[in-house]
Amino acid sequence: MSPDVIVETRNLTKVYRDFWGRQKVRALKALDLEIRRGEVFGLLGPNGSGKTTTIKLILGLLFPSGGQALVFGRDATEVTKNERIGYLPEESYLYRFLNAEETLDFYGRLFNMSAPLRRQRTSDLIEMVGLTWAKRRQLKEYSKGMTRRIGLAQALINDPELIVLDEPTTGLDPIGTREMKDLILRLKEEGKTVLMCSHLLADVQDVCDRIGILYQGELKELGRVDSLVKVRDVTEIRTTILSEEAQQELKAVVQRHGGQVLSIGNPTSTLEELFLHIIRESEAHPGRRVRGGAADAH
Amino acid sequence: MPIENPLPPFLEWLPMAVFVWVLVVLALTVGTIAVGCLVAVLRHGPSEGFRITGRTLAALWGDLVYLSPRRVAALAALAVKESVRRRVVVVFALFVLLLLFAGWFLDTGSIDPARLYLGFVLTATTYLVLLLVLFLSAFSLPADIRSRTLHTIVTKPVRASEIVLGRIVGFAIVGTGLLGLMSVVSYVFVLRGLDHGHALTADSLVPASGAAGEKGDKVGYTGFHPPVDSDRDEVTKRHHRHRVTVDANGEARVEIERGHWHGVRRGSGGAQGTYALGGPEGLLVARVPVYGPLRFRNEVGADTERGINVGDEWMYRSFITGGSQAAAVWTFQNVSERKFGRGLPLEMNIEVFRTYKGDIEKGVFGSLALRNPRTGLTVEVDLFESRDFVISKLFIPREIKRFSSARMVSRKLDRQEGAEYIPPRDALDYSLLDRKEFDLFEDLVSDGQVEVWLQCLEPSQYFGASQADLYLRAGDAPFFVNFFKAYLGIWFQMVLVIAFGVMFSTFLSGPVAMIATTGALVGGFFREKMIELATGRALGGGPFEAFLRLVNQDNLTIELEKGLKTYLVQTADRVAGAPLWVFAMILPPFSEFSYANWVAYGFDILWTPYVAVPLLRTLAFLVPVFVAGYFFLKTREVAR
Repeated sequence: MSPDVIVETRNLTKVYRDFWGRQKVRALKALDLEIRRGEVFGLLGPNGSGKTTTIKLILGLLFPSGGQALVFGRDATEVTKNERIGYLPEESYLYRFLNAEETLDFYGRLFNMSAPLRRQRTSDLIEMVGLTWAKRRQLKEYSKGMTRRIGLAQALINDPELIVLDEPTTGLDPIGTREMKDLILRLKEEGKTVLMCSHLLADVQDVCDRIGILYQGELKELGRVDSLVKVRDVTEIRTTILSEEAQQELKAVVQRHGGQVLSIGNPTSTLEELFLHIIRESEAHPGRRVRGGAADAH
Repeated sequence: MPIENPLPPFLEWLPMAVFVWVLVVLALTVGTIAVGCLVAVLRHGPSEGFRITGRTLAALWGDLVYLSPRRVAALAALAVKESVRRRVVVVFALFVLLLLFAGWFLDTGSIDPARLYLGFVLTATTYLVLLLVLFLSAFSLPADIRSRTLHTIVTKPVRASEIVLGRIVGFAIVGTGLLGLMSVVSYVFVLRGLDHGHALTADSLVPASGAAGEKGDKVGYTGFHPPVDSDRDEVTKRHHRHRVTVDANGEARVEIERGHWHGVRRGSGGAQGTYALGGPEGLLVARVPVYGPLRFRNEVGADTERGINVGDEWMYRSFITGGSQAAAVWTFQNVSERKFGRGLPLEMNIEVFRTYKGDIEKGVFGSLALRNPRTGLTVEVDLFESRDFVISKLFIPREIKRFSSARMVSRKLDRQEGAEYIPPRDALDYSLLDRKEFDLFEDLVSDGQVEVWLQCLEPSQYFGASQADLYLRAGDAPFFVNFFKAYLGIWFQMVLVIAFGVMFSTFLSGPVAMIATTGALVGGFFREKMIELATGRALGGGPFEAFLRLVNQDNLTIELEKGLKTYLVQTADRVAGAPLWVFAMILPPFSEFSYANWVAYGFDILWTPYVAVPLLRTLAFLVPVFVAGYFFLKTREVAR
């Protein structure tokens, strides 16, 4: 196994059986996958397609019925591999009677971190996820978004090389979603490897380098996001705003070269961008009504 | 206090115990590996099955040896916080509430109020603590698995062994804290509950009459406790008072009543004035008994191992016939001047079996004699009236001036070649009988050994005795230490319940784990009974023989008629006994860790047999239970 390959699955299969050993569901069928160092890999698929099962197999939470999952070249059931992994589950399964500081301190101790290091990491991470103001409150008083943030903080407590995120943007508001995506990109810049699964396709498209699409336990597609989503028989030209004459001239040029102009107009922004624009404006100018409409293109 | 299974000396017990433990653990380990391997082979095929087994065993070594104390401490601290969040303190509040109201129902006027109070607090603590840890340990891990909080732990570099050990340690800390609080509160409750005083005024003392044989100048009684309001209350059995003697110097002495006495302080005016009685003394004691081996002598004077059976199903005591040569003989070792320089303090609790009622208010007469095992000199030192369930005390002074009789007695041992006498009858020195007084150590103790002979003097009545029924009271240990040693016994039980609860919860759901742990607890309490049944020592045989007896209406004590039917049922019992024996042996002997009776009856809980040995036995159970818990958690899919 190449040192650049962080996660590898070979013919990985999972069959759920009942108490008597009878097959109930074949959740994953012979998955072959490689995730390389420094990339953000997204697992896509509808509910029940085997995304979470794959992640659980990679983390050793489930045992394969066939095949093998290797993480850092070791079997996925080996405990020592977890020293280099951070995991954010689908729901933030944390102890609700602890507060944020206690939570991070607890998980830090599980990594055998010294007390000064734990204090430092706890303080940094709480600040990073923006929960300094609520660090002494028990998690049971947290909103869903706050719980996701502290969940993310616990996943990063050990400064992991591989971060596994199960539906990372679930339960987050648009700002939280954007922050999460920014964070994933920042982690990538730091050279971390990220494996995430989501059914929010836009989120995956925004951050992932490569994706795998699962359906009914089978890998249907695997490749780079930019090449997979590239529409090869259409050419896109983006310019600053043009006059009517210039647009007609452009059409004529396209036709002269045998092409066909499909549409010319102003592009639309996404609702996410609009929302973030309004929030930013509101924060910059409190009390003033924010003008709606499309954001600037640049 | 009955001691049915006296433990052998520590150094005799240890090698055999270690050997049996290693054997059982090895057998269980090999069996588990074989079953695990078989399952893996059946599910994954031979090569993969063996590979999985090998990998699991390799991981097992690392997981058990390379435990991280910091991670275990973190998980233990989490278990403590979780317990506190689950309102453990409610149990303590419940206990305090129980004590607050217990004062209404516990009768301080009972014949032995200390036993009542101590028995109550120790039993209440045992039930509450065991129930609490049962719930905590059985439900914690399944709750984490259900809420998936365990996912965030097992995806950290945490070994399954650390999770199991962390839980056990955490809950043990919670239980220990709670037990500590309960013990302190209980101690205060017992002291306050038993504390009482009596009024004593000069008016209640009258000059002693010579005919009454009183030694003091004045005699009388203290006031009653509880105080009696003469206009309304009548004196019942609940009330007691003490006889008081006051000597010519005005020094008062309060006599023992209901197991205690009171110190007296003179007020101003001396004998003519007032007296102040202190709190009860002698109620809360921790006797340090010295036991000696017991043998019997039959009606015709020959040695036997046991006395006769009077038909009692409980074979703990053997009986001697009254008005005959039958005797129960205790031989005490290491009786030295250094230990017992002033004399021998004897205590005994003899069972009386009457074949006719007689005057039921009166006891049955018996005698106690000391015998020199070397010379055969036997001096009768006391004639007494025995009552059931009452500890009689006797102090035999070093210089024995008052004795009923002295005689020379040889032990008679029936051999195949004829009777043997020790010492030989012709070697007896009858001149010793001319003495008017005897010295305990010069005349009756030989090589540190002295025999105490108990005989029943009334024909057709019987005395029942066991080894622990008569002992030398070497001294008293501090009561509060003894009291806390009893809590140590509860602690052993608690830790084992926690370990079993956590172990079962690694592969069972919460309610099922609780039922399984309760099963282990109840089974552990009946472990001895199961072993008796399994080994054929139970009266009436095993289940098949018992059924046959039921159908045939045969008494338990009679032997079954020889024949095919008997052979078949007894063989069936033997076959059924094997798995029952194995099952019983893997259950902890919970009842043996219960020391409530020791404290309640006022006996010192000895360090070696009742603290060190149970500690080792607890560890002996903890280790395999912990490994089993680790194994189950390691081999289960947490996210399933």
